[in-house]
Amino acid sequence: MSDVAISARRLSPGTKAVLGIFARYGTIIGLLAMIVTFSILSPQAFPTVNNFTNVLNQASLAMIIAGGLTLAVVVGELDLSIGFAASLHGILITGLVVHDKLPIPLAVVIVIALGAVIGLVNGFIVTKIKVNSVIATLGVGTILTGLAFAYSAGVPIVAGVPEAFLQLSLGRWLFGIPNNIIVMILVLGGLWLLVERTPLGQEIQAVGGNAVAARLAGVNVDRIKILGFVISGMCAALTGILLASRLGSGTASAADSYLLTAFAAVFLGSATLRDGEFHVLGTLVGALIIAFGFNGLNIFGAPTFSQYVLQGAILIIAVGMASLGRSLAER
Amino acid sequence: MQAAFTRGAPQQAAPMTTPFLVAHDIAKAFGGAQALKGVSLDIAPGEIHGLVGANGAGKSTFIRILAGLNHPDAGRIEIDGQSREIATPQRATELGMSFIHQELAFVPGMTVLQNIMLGVPKKSRFGLTDWRAIARDVAPIARRVGISAPLNASVKGLSTAEIWLINICRALVRKARLIVMDEPTASLAASEAERLFAIVRDLSASGVAVLYISHRLDEILNLCSRVSVFRDGRSVAELAGKELNRPALVEAIVGGAIRNPQRTVAARPRGNVVMEASKLTRAPKVRGVSLRLHAGEVLGIGGLVGAGRTELARLLFGADRPDSGEMRLAGRSYQPASPAAAVRAGLGLIPEERRAEALFLSKSIAFNLSIANLDKLVHGRYLPLMNRRARASMAGDMIRSLSIKARNASTPVGRLSGGNQQKVAIGRWLQRTPKVLILDEPTRGVDIGARGEIHRLIRQQADSGMAVLVISSEPDELPDLCDRVLVMAEGRIVRELTGQAVSRKAIVEASYVDPQALMEDHPA
Ligand SMILES: Nc1ncnc2c1ncn2[C@@H]1O[C@H](COP(=O)(O)OP(=O)(O)OP(=O)(O)O)[C@@H](O)[C@H]1O
Ligand SMILES: [Mg+2]
Repeated sequence: MSDVAISARRLSPGTKAVLGIFARYGTIIGLLAMIVTFSILSPQAFPTVNNFTNVLNQASLAMIIAGGLTLAVVVGELDLSIGFAASLHGILITGLVVHDKLPIPLAVVIVIALGAVIGLVNGFIVTKIKVNSVIATLGVGTILTGLAFAYSAGVPIVAGVPEAFLQLSLGRWLFGIPNNIIVMILVLGGLWLLVERTPLGQEIQAVGGNAVAARLAGVNVDRIKILGFVISGMCAALTGILLASRLGSGTASAADSYLLTAFAAVFLGSATLRDGEFHVLGTLVGALIIAFGFNGLNIFGAPTFSQYVLQGAILIIAVGMASLGRSLAER
Repeated sequence: MQAAFTRGAPQQAAPMTTPFLVAHDIAKAFGGAQALKGVSLDIAPGEIHGLVGANGAGKSTFIRILAGLNHPDAGRIEIDGQSREIATPQRATELGMSFIHQELAFVPGMTVLQNIMLGVPKKSRFGLTDWRAIARDVAPIARRVGISAPLNASVKGLSTAEIWLINICRALVRKARLIVMDEPTASLAASEAERLFAIVRDLSASGVAVLYISHRLDEILNLCSRVSVFRDGRSVAELAGKELNRPALVEAIVGGAIRNPQRTVAARPRGNVVMEASKLTRAPKVRGVSLRLHAGEVLGIGGLVGAGRTELARLLFGADRPDSGEMRLAGRSYQPASPAAAVRAGLGLIPEERRAEALFLSKSIAFNLSIANLDKLVHGRYLPLMNRRARASMAGDMIRSLSIKARNASTPVGRLSGGNQQKVAIGRWLQRTPKVLILDEPTRGVDIGARGEIHRLIRQQADSGMAVLVISSEPDELPDLCDRVLVMAEGRIVRELTGQAVSRKAIVEASYVDPQALMEDHPA
């Protein structure tokens, strides 16, 4: 602590400017550096249109759920239910399509509506009953896991999944771009527009910035927080649906690990461009860092454990560098 | 006890001894903004040294450098004649300096004693903190500054003044030789402020120097033997002795003479009753308050800190629900369920605690100004996206008309000086032009130039038909500004002053009326 402080005394204005730049653009510089490094190390496999499309396609599901989570954290809350919810949604949609033979669009609408309802419940518990959001969403998430097991009786739904359902995620559309990527762009683009460019988005940012001040400025704080949870819930549903389609099955716990990836992306994003604030564009950058990191390690055949080590390390290093750079530059 | 407080004329300052502190040509830039361009000042042991300057002049930045929170780009600091580098707050403490910032430092969950000992090395026995021995040491110091609460009581529920005393006590326990106070009286009642002055004089008599920062020139003149004036990041004057008087200070602060806005408030025709409250009660702070607010008038609410004025404002604004009583707005029953409902009904509130209750510190000035005016800043009904150009030009206008000192509209509000933050909080509602505007301590921490400007804007709003309610603890503010003043004490309105009867003296007098006695005289 004091070492840092003392060395800061001798920082020239130039050094401080560089630190300031690093605090804001560090993650983006890191992302580019990673892409360049991998491209040099593996010029045939890594820097190809095919591989990049692949990485994006793979990462789209995480990006969608992380985009939703961004809304929850922007309003100043945490949503830990998203991974468990997405797992439930995956089983549910497979069940609705396979067992109940519902038309796919109808099933999709039902499941996304359920996602909204889960968000509503989270938001209600947090704002009206005033339970801390960590506890509330962890509790709701655990209940959802139970429901998922109850619905599937612990057995994955694999048989009889129609081809049309698989095509949701595996299909391609405009110019052969994978559906996942198109959905991801639409969702993140929509969220970005909502948060950054609409009056409602200003209120959303205000609530996250200072809820007391937002209330006294005439913002309906509870409603905005609930909205954050609802959007988070709907994005989790979308990710759950696309994952079930990609896997061709509904399996309990299939999407649980998206929780960690989404959090990593969101916090990496908070160290991007803005000083420690959560925002949609940052989340996108964060998700890309994780996606390319994993992809690179895969190409080099790194063992699975190292990928987790990498994800954790990148997160701490990037967020740590940004906040250290910021505090040194400001002294 | 009282005898220890030496009163009377401050001793003339002619530092014969080595100054305790010498600051020489200190400069500091934040990003591109040059907050300090070269300030120098020296403080003798036991001296009460004043520091004044307009909002954004660099006072707080200078203090933060002394406190080791910021590091100067250039300049030299000497303590007891030795050149020193203040790398950390701990270092500043070791060097004998203690700081009482405007946002008072205390931990609500702890006792008085624990708060006093915050960050102070503590005696221990067998590796455990020996609170009993510490209490024995601290008790005399606590008595000296006049802390009446028991040391083992929780600080929850203590008044600002008592928290303030705890901070003083902490400084003394640390054996501070210089105590720096940044706008100490901003949230103290008049009687509490008197008490503070007595303590400051006592400290000075016992050899502890005080650096006293305030926008209230009367206090400065009353307390300080020497006053340094900062303007635009430079120390432009040091006044002492005969040169130290109000006109000289004002001139040094603003860099020229200032039109002194005299009380011009004539009895003006006022409009219809816009807002009406009858027997409004929320125990224990507000008890049976009835009032009428007319269009086009500025109604002041005077009284002591803690008289229930802020709580009354919160009731009118829907931030709290009354236990009983009624409100009417524009002739119709008005029961706001939330501030949002109040805003929709045409109210605006500028709260007392700007940092906690009004501002989004990490957001830009433009964001802060626009948050209550979003409906006016969209492209159109069919394109409900923010019109960023309209927002920028609105913010630019506001920055100019309130002379907010900032690089541009996208500067985060947290980087502004205290007074400029307050201007942003006010600008938000001036932009919206509500039917009823409530301002709670609108010019706290605002320099005299800007204060006149804010008053002018408030009057202008009233002239164009807005009903304005101003709460203020500064005795001079209400007579300058208001057509009519209600004085509150212990949750009740104890007096109404109109026209020529509105004076500083009348307000102060009424503030001390015992509402109980009043009730017996005139049973309601
Ligand atoms: N962290 C920061 N980053 C950028 N600019 C800053 C920062 N802190 C202060 N400033 C700028 O430095 C200047 C001096 O601010 P300072 O807070 O010292 O003023 P002040 O004299 O205390 O004013 P006031 O009476 O309003 O409290 C202001 O223009 C302010 O915007
Ligand atoms: Mg200040």
